[in-house]
Formats: sequence, C-alpha cells, structure tokens
Amino acid sequence: MPLSIVYYAKEFFRWEWARKFLAARTAPLVIPPHFRNYPEMTGKTCTHQLFCMMVCPAPGAIDVVSTAEGWMPRIHVGHCIRCGLCVEACPNGVLTSGRILESMFNDNTCLSFSFRIDVDTKKCMGCGNCAVACPVNKLIDAQMSHGGKASTDDLLLKVSEGKCLVLHVEKCTGCKTCENHCPNEAIQVARLLEAVHAPEDVV
Amino acid sequence: MTILQSLKNLVRSKSIHVAYVDVGSCNGCDIEVLACLAPRYDIEQYGIFVHNNPREADVLLVIGAFTPGWEEKLQGLWQKIPDPKVAVAIGNCPISGCLFARPHTLVDPPVSKHIPIAAQVPGCPPRPTEILSAILSVAPTVFRDYEVRKK
Repeated sequence: MPLSIVYYAKEFFRWEWARKFLAARTAPLVIPPHFRNYPEMTGKTCTHQLFCMMVCPAPGAIDVVSTAEGWMPRIHVGHCIRCGLCVEACPNGVLTSGRILESMFNDNTCLSFSFRIDVDTKKCMGCGNCAVACPVNKLIDAQMSHGGKASTDDLLLKVSEGKCLVLHVEKCTGCKTCENHCPNEAIQVARLLEAVHAPEDVV
Repeated sequence: MTILQSLKNLVRSKSIHVAYVDVGSCNGCDIEVLACLAPRYDIEQYGIFVHNNPREADVLLVIGAFTPGWEEKLQGLWQKIPDPKVAVAIGNCPISGCLFARPHTLVDPPVSKHIPIAAQVPGCPPRPTEILSAILSVAPTVFRDYEVRKK
C-alpha cells in the first residue's frame, strides 16, 4: 500500500510534468506562407492600366504613383482588406500575395475587364466635352476641335449631328474622364468585370 | 530598482487584463478576438485574460469605425480604466474606417480622435496571431516600471 502511494506520487508529481502544466507556453502561431497577406511587388513593370484601382473594393487602399522606376502600385495598410483582387486583376502580374498567382496559373483563370459606354440621347446636348476630354481620343486625333467633331472614324467618341456617338467601345480604358466632364450626366461608363476560365479557348 | 518594483513587473507581465469594445463594426474583428480565446490560439497561456470589465482592465481593444452613439460613452469608458492603461485599435475600421468611410455615412474614424490609441493592428480582419503579438508587444512598454517612470 505505501509503495503504491509512492509510485503514484512519483508518477504525478514529476517536475517537467508540473512545469508543463503550470507554465505551458507556445510561441504565437506563425503566419503560414500561403496566407493572402498585403500584396507585394514582383518586380515586373507596371503599365499604368489601373485595373488594380478599378477592382479594389476598399476606399483609398491602393493607388498607382509615378516613381523614379516608373509607375508603381502602392498599398495603404490600414485601408487594404487583403482581398487579393488587385493581384488577380493586374494583367502584368506586378503584385503578388500568397498563392493567388500560383493558383491562377494552375487553374488557368484570370479577371478580364470590359467597358460599356451608355449615352442618354435625351440628356446629351452634343457639347463634345466627353470626346475632347477622352485621353484615348487625344492619342488618335490630337487636333480635335472643341466641339468634338472630327473627320476620322477611328475615335472612341465623336459628336455627329449634335449627338455623341460611341464608335469604338473596345478602345475604352475605363478611366471615366468623359463621365466627369459631362455637364448633363448624359454619358455613363460601366466597368464590367468577369472571371474568365481558360482564356486561350475563349479568345 | 526595488524588489517591489521587480515583483510588480513580474506579476504584470503575466496578468494582462483585456476589455474589448465594439464601437460599430461588422463583427468580423470581434470574432477574431474571440478566436484568440479558443484553444488554437489560447490567449490565456500568455497570461492575458479577457474580462470585458473596464474597471479591472489594462488593455482596451477598440473595434469598429466610431458610430455617433459612442460619442460620449467611449470617453467615459476610457476614464473608467485604472492606470496604467493602453488602447489598441483592432482592424482597419478604427484606423481608417475601412469600407464604411464613404461619403454620406455617419461613422467618424479614426478612433484616435476620441481616445489615445497606443497600437494599431491593421487588417480586415487581422489574424488572431497579429492581435496576440500586438498585445504582447505593447503591454511591456506600458506596464514595465510604470511607477518609476511616473515619478
């Protein structure tokens, strides 16, 4: 009987057992490498298409700034919600976060932007502000007159017979400059975002 | 340093009492704070206890983009906490308002306008690990040798 008490006492009052029980402490769990953290630069060149800013759901989380090395996206910690949409939307793969780029490559998926321009013909008074302000038009026809009239049909927007015409909507970059310059809110740009699977089969 | 002070340091480092207050968040960060209590992260093994009573708290976790209903109350709650005390902003909302900081909303971020914030844990929501390491790193800087520094 006394021997078994000694046995139990030795079993239960071991020093390392007591130490582990009373002062158990594990290091805080490390953040795993696949965690979708704040986007980081991959070193590829940004071409200033601004898809990251268009897709970002959080106000003020990302902007693209001009630096000595060219355009560079900048993430604002405290605004960014780490959704990873900017990483997926970037056509050049400038940003990376967790396994997003890897899984996009494996699954052969991407986010594709397209833009639709709607002109309300009842509100449009043909002032041509949209066509003159449009930066795409500026590249095609730098000499466009103030009324938005032009002889060429390669333009994105053009005023013809007192109304604004959308000629080549595929040239739109979704900057919404026309929308901001319209005095009547007659022109509206819709940014359409779709997740595309197997892009080479679709195109 | 006196023996009493070193004893206080030792005790305070193993007994950090936390109260959290939600000043208008989406509850995402609340769930992450509660996840710290769960066995996976186990906040109590570091000597951090969540009481939710400002009278006995050392650390106040502020969650959420400040809504108008908290205008007077958060200030009062902060004054109820005995010294030494520290407030930690959890998540994007107390820092910038996150998704709620849009025109024509009533929220009034950042929370640092209303009470002094010592540390910020960005993220929407932050990981429990990040909350845990923020509390563990801010607590010694505030509570260690508090009486010595006060003199």
